[in-house]
Amino acid sequence: MPIRSAVVLAAGEGARLRPLTKHRPKPMLPAATKPILEHVFDALVDAGITEITVVVGYGRTHVQSHFGSTYRDAALEYVVQDKQLGSGHALLAAEPDVSEPRLVLNGDQLVAQRIVEDVLAAYDDGDDAIATLGLIRHEDVDEYGGVICDGDGRVTEIVEHPGDDRTYQLNAGVYAFEPELFEYLRGPDPQLNEYSLVDGIANAITAGETVRGVTSDGVWIDATYPWDLLDVSEALLERADGVESTVSPDARIHESATIVEPVVISADCVVGPGSVVGPNAVLGDNVTVGANAVVEHSVVDADTRVGSGATLVDCVTGRNVRVGTGSTVVGGPGDVRVGNRVHENEQLGALLADRVRDGGGVTYAPGTIVGSDAVLRAGATVRGTIDHETEVQ
Amino acid sequence: MCGIVGYVGTAAGEDAVDVVLDGLSSLEYRGYDSAGLAVPTPSMTVSKAAGELSALEGIVSRRELAGEATGIGHTRWSTHGAPSDANAHPHCDERERVAVVHNGIIENYQRLRDDLVESGVAFRSETDTEVVPHLIGRYLDRGAGPEEAFRLAIDQLEGSYAIAAVFEGSETVYAARRDSPLVVGLGETGTYLASDVPAFVEHTDRVCYLEDGDFARLSADGVVVTDGEGHRVDRPTETIAWDPEDAEKSGYDHYMLKEIHEQPTSLRQCLRGRIDELEGTVDLEELDDLDHTGPIQFVACGTSYHAAMFGAERLRTAGVSAQAFLASEYASDRVPVDESTLVIGVTQSGETADTLRALREADRAGATTLAVTNTVGSSAARECDHVLYIRAGPEIGVAATKTFASQQLALALLAFELGDDPTRAELEALRDIPGQVQTILETTNARSVAEAFVDADAYFFIGRGYHYPVALEGALKMKEITYRHAEGFAAGELKHGPLALVTENTPVFAIVTGDGETARKTIGNVKEVEARDAPVVTITDGESDATRYADHVLEIPAIDDLGASVLANVQLQLVAYWVANLLGRSIDKPRNLAKSVTVE
Repeated sequence: MPIRSAVVLAAGEGARLRPLTKHRPKPMLPAATKPILEHVFDALVDAGITEITVVVGYGRTHVQSHFGSTYRDAALEYVVQDKQLGSGHALLAAEPDVSEPRLVLNGDQLVAQRIVEDVLAAYDDGDDAIATLGLIRHEDVDEYGGVICDGDGRVTEIVEHPGDDRTYQLNAGVYAFEPELFEYLRGPDPQLNEYSLVDGIANAITAGETVRGVTSDGVWIDATYPWDLLDVSEALLERADGVESTVSPDARIHESATIVEPVVISADCVVGPGSVVGPNAVLGDNVTVGANAVVEHSVVDADTRVGSGATLVDCVTGRNVRVGTGSTVVGGPGDVRVGNRVHENEQLGALLADRVRDGGGVTYAPGTIVGSDAVLRAGATVRGTIDHETEVQ
Repeated sequence: MCGIVGYVGTAAGEDAVDVVLDGLSSLEYRGYDSAGLAVPTPSMTVSKAAGELSALEGIVSRRELAGEATGIGHTRWSTHGAPSDANAHPHCDERERVAVVHNGIIENYQRLRDDLVESGVAFRSETDTEVVPHLIGRYLDRGAGPEEAFRLAIDQLEGSYAIAAVFEGSETVYAARRDSPLVVGLGETGTYLASDVPAFVEHTDRVCYLEDGDFARLSADGVVVTDGEGHRVDRPTETIAWDPEDAEKSGYDHYMLKEIHEQPTSLRQCLRGRIDELEGTVDLEELDDLDHTGPIQFVACGTSYHAAMFGAERLRTAGVSAQAFLASEYASDRVPVDESTLVIGVTQSGETADTLRALREADRAGATTLAVTNTVGSSAARECDHVLYIRAGPEIGVAATKTFASQQLALALLAFELGDDPTRAELEALRDIPGQVQTILETTNARSVAEAFVDADAYFFIGRGYHYPVALEGALKMKEITYRHAEGFAAGELKHGPLALVTENTPVFAIVTGDGETARKTIGNVKEVEARDAPVVTITDGESDATRYADHVLEIPAIDDLGASVLANVQLQLVAYWVANLLGRSIDKPRNLAKSVTVE
């Protein structure tokens, strides 16, 4: 019987996306204005999935309120993982709901419908596999999970962050699995140690179970760091199977404004006279772009106000940000400091987290990160990393 | 009050028991102290039980009724007689040839009952409804057929009713309505009847609303609607746009909490397409032909009345003469109303009997009427000259939350439509509200405030201006779901009496926003209670020094006073929710209350 149900893991914060994840989980961050998780659901529904169990935890009200009980006619059930103890533990939270083979996916990475379909097809062909993994070829495999298969497509090794120079395929985080896999997910002490799905699969392989891998050429995109949201949106707008350049009929665009496609301008947006939006500008719900402002290569999330004459280039904003009159995000590249690590030459103008307020005439040096609820006084020049709730004179 | 469900299925349809029980569970919000159902084939089977629907589910014999395609059901909220098995609907005649469910009040039931008792009929319940099956039985005895007997019995009734009846051995449901809602659903595998659409929306989205005085005969392949004389009347078939799944809890513990969290979305829907910041205008398309300059009166009940007070104040600020009245007092208040008056009924369900009655009186006096409602196709929407939809989406929790916020916003828009055009700042503030509600939901400390005061003796709420109705609403929410004593006061009134109630065990919630004169005066009132050792919780944007006098602060983002009243209310909803939650109350279905009050 073909698989019609999926479990989507959407309980984790995605800490490397801070400060954008201070108030909501990574799956709810915007990829060309739609939450990443919505793209995942689209891939599932388009591949014929009709029931989705969503494991939620961190910031779960965002997920629940956004999607409600159905998504495009697929029924959504929510299961709460109270403590985020890894993807294996998350899947176990859904165990009571699972009595037959299912798909499981990460809710915080964009996967094409193609990968889902390839995994489903390989599962249908498979015989004795306890799990079937979707794999892709990807140059950054060392930052993710690596998989090595034998000549018959049997997975022989699965490791996180492979460091040696063998040829690994990247684990796309799309699995078809039999309920028997749950036994292997129970770690030595999952209450104390984070226990991942990969550990569980490795356990199953060690125990002699068959785990299959299927290589797909479908698209797989992950936003590891906040500025990756710029690339994600751009990639989606570029691809035929991505997101179409659109202006919502419920947006108001002044006749003298210039829209340079591709863009996404969502419902309730107001684009003022003389402004320029695009290319590659994506505006969430109810964003205002003031008169003569310029927004290009930027992700501007819901309820943000871009003041008159402001310029945003290579900028990521959270929700409800106030960019004052004449403020300037000059654009990347710049060096970005995250914790103790400096990412050099990233294409980031500035990252302004939820509810940052600037008083106007603020200049943002390339690579600036401003934490949520920070207040920047008029005329300030800011650079580096500014903590949440700080006031900059 | 109460909820009615009926079903006649085709051979391909479902078991009537399943359809009726599912329908009743979707209508439970209308009343829930007892429930029952009747399946008339192959012989009359009636099951009923006091308590929640699960009690009925426990006693229904699904196995015996498997395959039977006709049934009616009822959830009851008592008006006549205590909640008990005997008083639960359906009610039957003595020989159990007919079973009847009823929503409404039969005003002449005592006289009818006396007549029947005199002629030897033995009543089994204390309900007004039971006269109906006995009347039908009497006409059956005299040789009338089922439909004729049903009509003759209904003709005897005075008062309000939505009634459905089934006859032994017959795969037909008969129905009649007056002043109480009833809607027919036309599905592929059967015909449905209910007080409200959610009861059958999972089966069909094609509906036909019955009007006052209509009779309906439902069979598996459709419905025939006739008037009092038996002439066929056409009632248009409409397609409703509800997503049935909107009415599920989607991972929240309670509908109320889900609906509180839906407010950013419902407020966006309320505003969508109605404001144009580039032009600086508000345009309520559905009110294009409303051109009113005279006085305005609001009529409403409960939470909607608080929204009406807010709306009236907003209109007065815009220079329009406006007053809010309790719908149930409107008649006895002898309010002067004539052709120059616009009477606005604010009712979430559009079926609130008191509000409908007041609107009808206003209509008779020649006034223009406007319904501000959440429910497309409701009685208020159909009967009034104009209708403004608040677009909040279905609300299931008995305690109104998101619909109040949407009423506030819709009435703010209405004030711009009827009064002066908005300033840019006012429009921006309106557009900011949904996102700022989201901010509150993400940052609120309402739960810890609730924990601090869960054992309080009473809760008081004070505010001025737009915050006064919100203080009343905050108290109402607290009463409804915690069963604790709570009162809201105009802040200045405190010292004229209520201050005597204030002790160290009565927290006072004060809404103070901005730093203008109103805020300063409210702070003065806060000092009065602080001096009596009462704990103070301020709901504030931090613009004034109100926090200095507060034991706890519920913060809201800075916005104008109108927006602040919407935001402050969200914090108070959450406090009430968490107090009720900590007390283990039945939050979505508080005792003695029903969602839509269709009796006067």
